[in-house]
Amino acid sequence: MSKKLPLHRIRNFSIIAHIDHGKSTLADRLMEHAGAVDKNRSRDQLLDSMDLERERGITIKAASVALEVDVRGEMHLLNLIDTPGHVDFSYEVEKSLQACEGALLLIDAAQGIQAQTVANATLAMDQDMEVIPVLNKIDLPHARPEEVLEQLEHVLLLESESCISCSAKTGKGVEELIEAVVDRVPAPTGDQDNPLRALIFDAKYDEYRGVIVNLRMVDGVIRKGDMVHMLGAKADYEVLELGKFTPDPKPCDSLEPGEVGYLISNIKKLGDVHIGDTLTVQKGERASRLPGYREPQPMVWCGLYPVRSGDFENLRSALNTLKLNDSSLVFEPESSDALGFGFRCGFLGLLHMEIVQERLERESGLDIVQTAPTVPYEILMQGGNLHTIHSPGELPESNLYEEIREPVVTTHLLIPVEAIGAIMHLCSERRGRFLRQEHLSPTRVMLTWDLPLSEIIFDFYDKLKSGTRGYGTMNMDEPRFEAADLVKLRILVGGNEADALSIICHKEVAERRGRSVLRKLQKEIPRHQFEVALQASIGGKIVARESIRALSKNVTAKCYGGDITRKRKLLEQQKKGKKRMKSIGNVEVPQKAFLAVLSTDE
Amino acid sequence: MELATPPGVLLESLPSLYVHLPFCKSRCRYCDFNAWVWKGQDLGRLVDALLQEAELRVPGLRPQTFFLGGGTPSLLPPEELLRLLQGLDAILDFRDSSLESSMEANPESFDEATAEAAVAGGLNRISIGAQSFRPPVLAAYDRPHGPEDIEKAVASARGAGFENLNLDLIFAFPGQDPLEWEADLNRALRLGPQHLSCYELTFEPGTPLTRKRDAGRMEEEDSDLCLHLFDRTLEICSEAGLDRYEISNFSLPGMACLHNLAGWRRLPLVGIGPGACGWGDGVHRKNISDPAAWQADLEGGGDGLEESSTPNSQTSAFEHLMMGLRLEKEGVRLSRVKESTGVNVEDLPGDPLALLVAEGLLEILSGPEGRVLRATPAGFPLLDHSLQRLLPEGRG
Ligand SMILES: Nc1nc2c(ncn2[C@@H]2O[C@H](COP(=O)(O)OP(=O)(O)OP(=O)(O)O)[C@@H](O)[C@H]2O)c(=O)[nH]1
Ligand code: SF4
Ligand SMILES: [Mg+2]
Repeated sequence: MSKKLPLHRIRNFSIIAHIDHGKSTLADRLMEHAGAVDKNRSRDQLLDSMDLERERGITIKAASVALEVDVRGEMHLLNLIDTPGHVDFSYEVEKSLQACEGALLLIDAAQGIQAQTVANATLAMDQDMEVIPVLNKIDLPHARPEEVLEQLEHVLLLESESCISCSAKTGKGVEELIEAVVDRVPAPTGDQDNPLRALIFDAKYDEYRGVIVNLRMVDGVIRKGDMVHMLGAKADYEVLELGKFTPDPKPCDSLEPGEVGYLISNIKKLGDVHIGDTLTVQKGERASRLPGYREPQPMVWCGLYPVRSGDFENLRSALNTLKLNDSSLVFEPESSDALGFGFRCGFLGLLHMEIVQERLERESGLDIVQTAPTVPYEILMQGGNLHTIHSPGELPESNLYEEIREPVVTTHLLIPVEAIGAIMHLCSERRGRFLRQEHLSPTRVMLTWDLPLSEIIFDFYDKLKSGTRGYGTMNMDEPRFEAADLVKLRILVGGNEADALSIICHKEVAERRGRSVLRKLQKEIPRHQFEVALQASIGGKIVARESIRALSKNVTAKCYGGDITRKRKLLEQQKKGKKRMKSIGNVEVPQKAFLAVLSTDE
Repeated sequence: MELATPPGVLLESLPSLYVHLPFCKSRCRYCDFNAWVWKGQDLGRLVDALLQEAELRVPGLRPQTFFLGGGTPSLLPPEELLRLLQGLDAILDFRDSSLESSMEANPESFDEATAEAAVAGGLNRISIGAQSFRPPVLAAYDRPHGPEDIEKAVASARGAGFENLNLDLIFAFPGQDPLEWEADLNRALRLGPQHLSCYELTFEPGTPLTRKRDAGRMEEEDSDLCLHLFDRTLEICSEAGLDRYEISNFSLPGMACLHNLAGWRRLPLVGIGPGACGWGDGVHRKNISDPAAWQADLEGGGDGLEESSTPNSQTSAFEHLMMGLRLEKEGVRLSRVKESTGVNVEDLPGDPLALLVAEGLLEILSGPEGRVLRATPAGFPLLDHSLQRLLPEGRG
């Protein structure tokens, strides 16, 4: 990338869609078209660069890439951002959109419009940006483009004529798509001569290079060696390296308005980097702040504790490092009688929670115990104060509060017509309130229900999938809090209350939940040399009990003078295995048991 | 307290000798020893190398016990076995010094000629790997012999003059009826052994059997059933006059295996042969495991050593407990642990010993020889649990 292209030759856009509709694959084709990557390389979905993304075959992190493409004889700079489709990562989509003027809304021509298609399209349209609908996977034999185009008009109110058809697999239609981007996405505005103004829209920590900050340039020019200022953090840094992702990081001397790139500086304090912050000059006239991002709204909370209590500070720094790359993660220190010191962490969903835990363990090498996830609750105290709790342990004694309010979300379920009965039944079973039913096409219908978040966050999605043979999708609005008849279910292990195992649940199902949790624990907690009593109690009354029989024999059968070192090492290993457990009283409880309370099995 | 052998029979200062013969006819599916399938390797050269190591490292050793183990020592042709024993005697003088000289044998390869060579070579105790009398179980273990071979091997041993005979047996084969084990045990007892080793089947890391279990194609027996079999074994052996003196070992009065006793008491041990381990003067020594590599090392002028290590005093004290607590009645003399390692195990950080005593898993008795630590009847089958809690923190 030698010569700078003028603003009117730059286009910034995100690729958004429902999960698996082909965003990352399309990004591959676009990069190939620009000659940025080798067509004969062995890997697909090149922008899914994290191990976890490749293992799971989904995008977790948005990734940006700068491409120089010849369109009708003129070079253009296309900055595209590939975004994740899973609902738990919609914060990534939001952040990406703010660095763009347009979005490609991909729709799988066989699956049609799905819940996240609607949700992500709404996000883009709310920002008043150009949305180009793209019908993908038209190569599939069961693609049904006419029907999908009809849905497009009906559900999203987008004109079917505006839609481009392509196959990210074969590359068909990709050229046309690029032309549409150039023709329809507005060029960025901005002025070289204004004071520097750039949006920090992402960052990551690299072991060797320190913090790498992703920038979207708005005004001014930034050059290597400049001193810059972060407006929110009020911190000054020297620019040591600038560059663009092509997709590999490629250094350059300066970044100008409209461009997307990265900056490396000797940032020591991770806390100085706020995603959504504005970068400007250190000296002279400073720019005003860009709008930035809304605070993430965690839907699920759980405790994360280091297995070794000495690792508390290491866990804190691991969380800070991860937060840099995942600004939707929220955490605060907490302590538990059973688990010691750890953090209460908020996530956008269960997959997000799982990914965070995996990333923490992989990226920091720490062993972590996770407590059962819970939704937040609002507690109306005697005297009228309202406060929010993120863990059942925080629930005050029942005589101290007036009521417990739980999050309720309006949920839109897009399902095939023939599944209406099954899904209606599922929703009413989950304490739902029916709102309405709309037909999107002769075969698809959207049901809207109010549902308690706690009833849908855990296994509802699986039930929805099985009830619709895989064709149902869902989307939720922001939660609001409503009073409900909720109680705290306490779990006692070996006579000791295990605060990390208690849950808040609806009074009517509490006893059944208690029994099922105990049965799960019975399976997960290994036998000890004594019998372990398990009890569930509600309001001081024991409602269920089980026990784990004592281990009767545990002795090495064969051990002679020549085996000493080997046998000792075996014992050491077995003991180390136990260290991955946390003790409640004198009972060793493995990580999996803490998630036992999740199960809602019958 | 109750010593498994009269005091003074084994001396704390004298070494025992172990010689390892690494080859077997085939590999048993539960086996994690240093055993290699014999594919025609030159056994004469192997004997040469064993003698060479003995000559090089411990000439004139005069061990108080001698044990030729494996692998399968009976795999040696009689003339090579005799040459090995006579050669060792010439170097070490074990026939004169040793209170007990044992050899391991497998039923498929222990015939009269081999038995006679063993006796001629100065051995006075034989240990036969019977494992089971049930063809399907032997087949599941991939043992290269049938039940009748066990009886033949015992007859060969008796015929050659072995008066002290042990049989190795394995119990808790998955899914087996407990009565089948009792039948196995009774059949072994009818052969009139002076000593029995009855091992619970162990799923050792990395063995074919463990892989089968991990793949979900075999389920380990429940610990309640294992305890039942363990207790029944004790009852049946006692009725036959065999006392249990160690977790898995039973003998007629006074017939405990002295060589192994020396190991549990952690007396000095010299190991000769591939993979053999030794212990003495605070140092663990382990030979190169691979027979070919071990042999090449010796033939090239080396001493066959793979590694030696010096455990710290805490670890060394733990090893005393780990071995000594296996002796059901005898236990560990705490003053001896203190003398040999400098560690007073009643003074460990967090005092795990006191907790284990309070929980009824271990007990401390005072007697003429000072304080003795041993497992209680309840704690004996849970010994590994107690040991894990006694393990020193950090690395040893
Ligand atoms: N037949 C066909 N398959 C496609 C096409 N585009 C993508 N796929 C396949 O669809 C699957 C999902 O593709 P991805 O590119 O990972 O989808 P994504 O939208 O990035 O998914 P997330 O990032 O997880 O939301 C992969 O197996 C692709 O090979 C297409 O045009 N035709
Ligand atoms: S005979 Fe003994 S040493 Fe050889 S493989 Fe079988 S169990 Fe292992
Ligand atoms: Mg993707």
